[in-house]
Amino acid sequence: MPEPKIIGFLCNWCSYRGADTAGMARLKYPPNVKIVRVPCSGRVSPELVLRTFREGADGVMVLGCHIGDCHYSTGNHRAAKRMPVLKKVLEYSGIDPERLCVNWVSAAEGERFAKIITDFTETIRALPPLTEEMTWTKG
Amino acid sequence: MDQRLEALLQTIQKVLPDVDGIIGLKVNAAGHIAPHLFRKEAPAELDGLAIWPKYPTPDTLRLIQKAHPGAKLGMVVRGCEERGVVEMFKHAQVDLSNISLIGLQCTREEAEFCRCAKPYTAHAKLTVGEPIEGVPDPVTEGFLAKTREERLEYWKEQLVRCIKCYGCRNVCPQCFCNVCALEDEKWVGTGWLPMPLPPMYHLVRSMHMTAKCVACRECEEVCPADIPMAIQYRLIAGDVKEMFGYETGVSMDEKPPQLLVLAEGEFERTGLPH
Repeated sequence: MPEPKIIGFLCNWCSYRGADTAGMARLKYPPNVKIVRVPCSGRVSPELVLRTFREGADGVMVLGCHIGDCHYSTGNHRAAKRMPVLKKVLEYSGIDPERLCVNWVSAAEGERFAKIITDFTETIRALPPLTEEMTWTKG
Repeated sequence: MDQRLEALLQTIQKVLPDVDGIIGLKVNAAGHIAPHLFRKEAPAELDGLAIWPKYPTPDTLRLIQKAHPGAKLGMVVRGCEERGVVEMFKHAQVDLSNISLIGLQCTREEAEFCRCAKPYTAHAKLTVGEPIEGVPDPVTEGFLAKTREERLEYWKEQLVRCIKCYGCRNVCPQCFCNVCALEDEKWVGTGWLPMPLPPMYHLVRSMHMTAKCVACRECEEVCPADIPMAIQYRLIAGDVKEMFGYETGVSMDEKPPQLLVLAEGEFERTGLPH
């Protein structure tokens, strides 16, 4: 089975710094996640996540600051409001909502970052490639 | 003549002298229904007044108000249309200060046709017909019983027929954005039939219907391919109610949830990790 492709949208202020912290601590985690730095988790629109799936990602991560710690006060509230609904949309469309990971990592939480990445990569590894499911039924 | 139609006609004739016009449905020579502005200058037009099949009129109100702001209007609304008008009001698309709503209560047959949970009006001061209780929605319930794999198969069977005519968006009483994400090449590409999976058009539309869908089922009615997309919109409406306590089109002053910050206790109900 090919290695799963995962795209991670990380907020500039907490999660991206958290990834740096993990790196500086020499923590090991799977290399499957390609990181895209965004100004805020609230920047990640549902369309962006869906397009990422359409382009062939097996899993998408949206990581932001913990609720209450957002650099823009309430930017991550947008993610916290939209992403659970998007998970429901995926569920009702027959796409495993587990393929979308929404979580919070602060700049100091290198270990938490490594653990979230490791756990999510394992989750996606257990699923078939999304492109395999996303083909029209012949008939 | 249908009893309810006759009662509606009487109510309209009562209201008409006090307003510039009344928005309702009119049947044309070919037997088709279309929204119409009935005016007192042309009382004969009321002979064509119709109530079925239904057609959503909230957007008609929006367009008339755009051209004639401040016009004093009456408007015939079913429960779903009333919810549509309320939601448009909250999104600053219509002004309700000069509008008198005439509520048309749906019959049991109509409610069953629409699988409607709320076939009655709640705000209209004048009403026609007896309000009835909502009816169950066996189609959505049947869908909920499916496993994830069955759901995927189900949508593949349905969506392979989609010709991307945009009819569901065009008829929707809540699709009033000047710029539509569904017309953006970035999100919904053109040139393929059937469209590539995952079906961006339908997923984005489902997402955009969050806390907006008023459950009128017009999208299914106009669909030339009979795709039951309202299933998704209805299920999401239930989730939004659970997570954010918001019911679309019910209250005039409750703010829609997406634009606001998380309220006390809301974050816990989203099911996201801490």
